[in-house]
Formats: sequence, structure tokens, C-alpha cells
Amino acid sequence: MRRVVVTGLGLITPVGNDVSSTWDSLIAGRSGLGLVSRFDASAYDHPIAAEVKGFNPAEVVDPKIARRIDLSSAFALAASHQALTDARLDVSTEDASRVGVLLGTGMGSAHQIVEQQRILDEKGPRRVSPFMVSHMLPDTATGLVAIATGARGPNFAVTAACATGGAATGEAAEMVVRGDADVMIAGGYEAPLQPIYYAGFNAMKALAEHEDPAKAVRPFDATRNGFILGEGAGVLILEELEHAKARGARIYAEWRAAGTSNDAYDMVAAAEDGHGIAQAMRLALKRADLKPEAVNYINAHGTSTPLNDRVETRAIHEVFGEAADDVMISSTKSMHAHMMGAAGAVEAAICVLTCHHGIVPPTINYEHPDPDCDLDYVPNEARQADVRVAMSTSVGLGGHNSAIIFSKWEDA
Amino acid sequence: MTGTPEGRRVVVTGIGILSAVGAGRDETWKNLLAGMNGIDHTTHVDTSDLPSRVSGEVPEFDLSTYIDRKGVRRMDRFTHLAVCAAGEALDQAKLDLAAEGDHIGCMIGSGIGGIGTLEAEFDVFFHKGPNRVSPLLVPMFIPDMAAGQTSIRFGLRGPNYNTVSACASGADAIGTAFEVIRRGDAIAMVAGGSEACVTRMSIAAFANSQALSTNNDPNTASRPFDANRDGFVIGEGAGILVLEDREHAEARGAQIFAEVVSYGQSADAFHVTAPSENGEGAARAMNIAIAKAGINASDIDYVNAHGTSTPLNDKFETMSIKTVFGEGAYAVPVSSSKSMIGHTLGAAGGIESAITVLSIVNQKIHGTIHLETPDPNCDLDYVSDGPRDLDIKYAMSNSLGFGGHNSSLLFSRYEG
Repeated sequence: MRRVVVTGLGLITPVGNDVSSTWDSLIAGRSGLGLVSRFDASAYDHPIAAEVKGFNPAEVVDPKIARRIDLSSAFALAASHQALTDARLDVSTEDASRVGVLLGTGMGSAHQIVEQQRILDEKGPRRVSPFMVSHMLPDTATGLVAIATGARGPNFAVTAACATGGAATGEAAEMVVRGDADVMIAGGYEAPLQPIYYAGFNAMKALAEHEDPAKAVRPFDATRNGFILGEGAGVLILEELEHAKARGARIYAEWRAAGTSNDAYDMVAAAEDGHGIAQAMRLALKRADLKPEAVNYINAHGTSTPLNDRVETRAIHEVFGEAADDVMISSTKSMHAHMMGAAGAVEAAICVLTCHHGIVPPTINYEHPDPDCDLDYVPNEARQADVRVAMSTSVGLGGHNSAIIFSKWEDA
Repeated sequence: MTGTPEGRRVVVTGIGILSAVGAGRDETWKNLLAGMNGIDHTTHVDTSDLPSRVSGEVPEFDLSTYIDRKGVRRMDRFTHLAVCAAGEALDQAKLDLAAEGDHIGCMIGSGIGGIGTLEAEFDVFFHKGPNRVSPLLVPMFIPDMAAGQTSIRFGLRGPNYNTVSACASGADAIGTAFEVIRRGDAIAMVAGGSEACVTRMSIAAFANSQALSTNNDPNTASRPFDANRDGFVIGEGAGILVLEDREHAEARGAQIFAEVVSYGQSADAFHVTAPSENGEGAARAMNIAIAKAGINASDIDYVNAHGTSTPLNDKFETMSIKTVFGEGAYAVPVSSSKSMIGHTLGAAGGIESAITVLSIVNQKIHGTIHLETPDPNCDLDYVSDGPRDLDIKYAMSNSLGFGGHNSSLLFSRYEG
């Protein structure tokens, strides 16, 4: 059986535009939330978002391309370049047909579609951009990354709403396991901060409200009242172990397994008993051949909605039994908010870093215990710990669930 | 070499199709063999100011067979099509969903998801303001919702997501679902593609990218491999297969229609819309599928082509078939379903895989209609003389997407 290791990471998040600044923020417990600045949000009482700051697409991609592409694609390209650089992998010196790209997104090119729809409405169909089609699809970024890097292996996008990043990372790893590729550029990206989508989420009554934006996301806290939209990208270089060793690559952690499932219950709400996410966790554990008690850390979906955090806690109890009390759980969404299709990938990268550094990032804004959420959420301060096995869980609209497991790299 | 380390094989036990030539599997197949043209003047949206005014719309069908009234309102049309095609396939497969739902998953590809819902909500947003936008905008638009709603409707709790690779989306969903069963993560998968893109924005965007035919005569607009072809005709529909672990299907005495043999995927890494020179990427995907199957190109009896009717696609796809098949390229029949149903984008790989399976079941292939003027660059046997009886052991379905995604699926007659 081919083993898969992580040899590079790239992150564009509301708390940092690269891996080291994001990690420093997470360990320091810094919030990336603020008032919406990307568009006029004065119609809302609490227009809060977690925006990526100081990101100039022209600094990371060819300015000619930067002008044309969607912000979401720019995030994906920037994080992919970071990850390849971090892995010291030059696709042009590899067998490029063995290097693939699999990136997930919940919605794809949100900004392009809105802009072109306005043109269609106001100026008529003949003024719609000839580049609209090639830049509006959810797989646009995987194609652009392939063109920019020369990676000619397996290439498509995965969408599973907020479980996208986990599903994409898991499927990419399976491609390496089954021998369809030796290296996969894998992860997720999203740029949903557009007025119409914000209006749609607001109408769902799912967004958090708070006087202080930095405290808006309070996963597992008794006073939590919703999630906040974030944006960015997370990319992992997943590489076959012998391939990584042969080129002397630095290994962050080992990919162990992924499990996905569907609640088959409701298009919006998670099932109250948590059977779907529990099933995904069990499948991942079975595929990794691990007992629940082997898991030291769970980077939870932890959106900060009343329902999600309660259901997720119940599912962890269900799967882990007595071991649930010993596992460290944190929701880094308390700091980078809900990055939608990017969330699972960014949180997978955080699991990798947790194994690598032996430090668990906290759940910030945790002040009021909720009797329904009674586990160790690593409240407010990072913790030193030898994390040998870490799991990232994601739950999405449409009933999608994913769980993905990494372990500390040990050459054995 | 067809086996996996675990030796799992994957078979097809259910087929569902909604297309421009029929709102159902049997009607679609009958009409494809009859060479019926499903392209007509567009009725779903006002096309008076659009450069392309013909399309392949699915004929009226009864949503209530599979979707209740509340569900109808809460789903975009691409999800309606997916749920109904999945229902037809599941009715045929007769799996015990109540007992085995935990181990049955769903993967339905879509290129753009609920674009019609998005366009309607834009209208609300621009003209009535943000507070009037529907709370269901996001959950109706996102492209994974076909797989999500299909799972909710039929109780499919296994592995579940959506693959997107533009016009290869449906093929990648089937290929990925095939791999999910092979690695033992599910005993069956409901897999395919769905698209409902006969909307003003889709038509305007594809037309302006020079991809659509501007020939508004429904009788000649979609003419794959013809020298006068000038672009594709947009179509809608869904094609869904029930894929099942062979041993599980055998054990329950299921009717087996074909075997999924292998799946090859590649990227051009060349251009956002144009295919790579000489169809290199497409040839590589076909060669991967053939190598994984452990057969030779000459073993393949039929190719259901991507055959979009754009000048570039049909020329490069022909070249790629020649690269892979060598001299044998002239001996293998190649037909394009898109000559009759149009280009259903993310659904195409699902619908055309289903058609490929039906070709194996019936040992018959449909023709490519509207092919009247030969193109010297397209000189293969495109079955322009109409349907044909054919002894098929192996058949291939090709899908090639904007962004340089290439997928080849290889199916075979099931012989135990």
C-alpha cells in the first residue's frame, strides 16, 4: 500500500497571508474578524466578516492574469504557489503527468458571476465577458493552477458545501494511494463576500451577531448565536512517501485516511443525533486502522451555531465513548471564521501543523460552558501537547460530512 | 489487471436518463436509435436578444413521481433532473435502501449548479433589495445540492460529494464513485451528472466565448464532425448510473447491465478554453484507462465521443483517437450523442456513460445525425448512416472540459 505524506503547505486566511503568520496568529489566539469592508453593508445591523487583509493578486500571479480572474481563483493560485515553494517541488523537473490538482470550493467564482450578471441586466447579453465561462466555473481554479504550474495529472474540483475542503483533500490523497499520481496539489478555496451571498446567508438567520466583531464567533460557548463568513484558501502538497524520500523532501505529517457521508436528513440543518458526522469519523478511523483513543486532537467543524456545536459534541461522544473526555478539541473558526469550501482544507493544514509543532491552537471566546457541549475545547489558550494523531471534521449544507486524519511523521 | 488489490469489481445495476430526446431511459434510447433531433427553439427563457436561440430542453415530465410539492419549490431545476434520473436508476436497481443506506453513496457532477436560481435571485436583489433575497438562494445554487438532495430523498448515507470539471463533471463523478466502491468505502454509488443551463446567463456567456453555434436552424445547429459545424448547442438533462460492488450485486441476484472497467483522467495544463495541441491530454486520459484495464486499444469496439460540434473539439478529439488507436482508428465506430441532445455540459459525461452502457446492453449503437459534409480533419467512422447492430465487448465514453479536464471511462459487457 502506497503511503502519503504532506510535504508542503500554503495558506491565505483572515489571520495571515501565509503559513507562518497564520500559525502565529492561531497560537496567539488572535481574531481575524472585523466589520465588512469589501462592500457597503450599512443595510445590516451587525455586518461582520473575516476578510483576508492586504492581499494583492498581482503580487502573487501574473498581473495580466490577476486582472481577469476571480478573487477566489487568486486565493487558490497564491496558496498553491506557496505550497509548492514550501515543498521545494518544481513541477517542470518532475514527470508532470504524475502531478495533479484537486481543489474544492463551495460556490466557485462568486465575484465574476455577480459582476457579469449586473452587466447582463444593465447592458444586455452581448456585453457579457467572453472570459465569463472559463472563469466562473467551480473548477476554474484547478485548471488555472495546472496551467500555471504545468501539472498534467488528474484534475478536477470537488464541492460538498462546507465539507468541501475535507472531501477534496481526502479524494486527492486516494489518487496518490491508488497510483494515479505521485503528487497532488490539494485543498480548498472560497471568496464568498459578495452582497448577494451575504444577503442569502443573512436571510437564513445563520449569521452571528455581536457588538464586538472579534467575539462574534464563540464555538461551544453557551451564548454562541451563529457563524461568520470568512474567505481564503488552504493547499497541501500530498506526496507518495518514497517519492518524497527520494528527493529528500521535508515531511510535515502523514495522511492516514478520510471518511465521508451524508445525513440524508435535511438540505440545511444537520440531523440532531449527529449520525452523519459520526459515520464519517468511524469510516475514517476504520480506514486508518485506528481506535478512537489513538486520536489526540480534533479540529472541529465548530461553526458556533447553536445546532452544529451541540450535534458535533454528541457525535464525538458517540464515536469516542469514554475517550471523548481525553481528546483535545478546538474550533479555529473562532479566529478565522467559516471559510466555507476552504474551511476543511485550512483546518486539515492546521491539523498537520499541530502534529508537526506539538502545539494545539485554542478555541477563543470561550467563556460560558454549555451543558450540551461538555468536552475539552482547549479554551482561549494554545496548549503544548505531543499530538500523534489529529482529525479534522467538516459538516456541510446538503448533509455532507467529512473526517480526515493525519499523524505525526515517524519514519517506520 | 482489471482487479484491485482487494479484487473488487464494479458493475452497473441501474440506469436513469432525462434528455432532450426523452424524459426517461427507454424513451431516450429508442429516440437515439431513431435518430431523432432533440434540438429545438428555446422555450425556457426569452432568447430574442441572444445570439443562440436553439437548445436541447428536456420534454415535460412529472416531477411528482419522485419529489413532493415542497421539495419542488426548494430545489433548482438541475436538482429536479438529478433526483428524477436517480429515481429511475434506483427503481431499476432495486437495492434495499432502508437496510443498506449507510453503505450507499452518491456523487453527481454539475458544471454550474443552480444557475437559474441565482439569476432569479439577482433580479430580486437588484430590484427589490438585499432583504428580499431568499434564504434558500445558497442551498439551491451550490452545485453539490444534486447529490445532497438525492441522498435525502432516497436515504443514501454513504460517501457523498460532487465533482466539477466543466464538461467532464459527470464522467468524473462516475469515475470517482467507481474508485470509492473499489476501495471498499461503499457497496453501491448513485453517480452521474446533471445540468439545467438553458438560462440567459449561460447562453450569453457561452455565446460570447465563441463556443456556441450561431446557427439558429434546429435541424443543422448541432452537427459534430461536419465540415460546417460552428459551435455547440446548449442542452440540459441528467444521466445517472447505479454502480455496485460486483459481489454484492451477484449475491442479491441483481440484473447486471455492464461492468465499469477503468477510469482515466488527465489535465492539459494548456489553456482555459482551447484543448491542447493534437489532443494530447485527451489521448493521455484514454491511454490511462486502456492501460488500467490491461487491454489494447484494438479491443475497444465503440467510442461514444465528446463530439461537441465545435471546430476545435471535433478536430482534436479525432486526432487524439488516432494517437491512441493508430491505424485501428478507422475501424472503430465513433458517434456523438450531442448531435441529438446537444451539449449538456456537466451532465454530458453522465448521460453519455448511460448511453454507452445501453449500447452494450442492446449490442447496438446510435448514429451521429446532421453529418452531411465531410471534414478532411474528421475522417473516422462517425456512424453517420444511422444506428447499427454491433458486437460490443468494450466501449469507451470520452468527456473533455473547459480548463483542460479529460476523462475516459471504459465499460464492458458483463460476462461474470
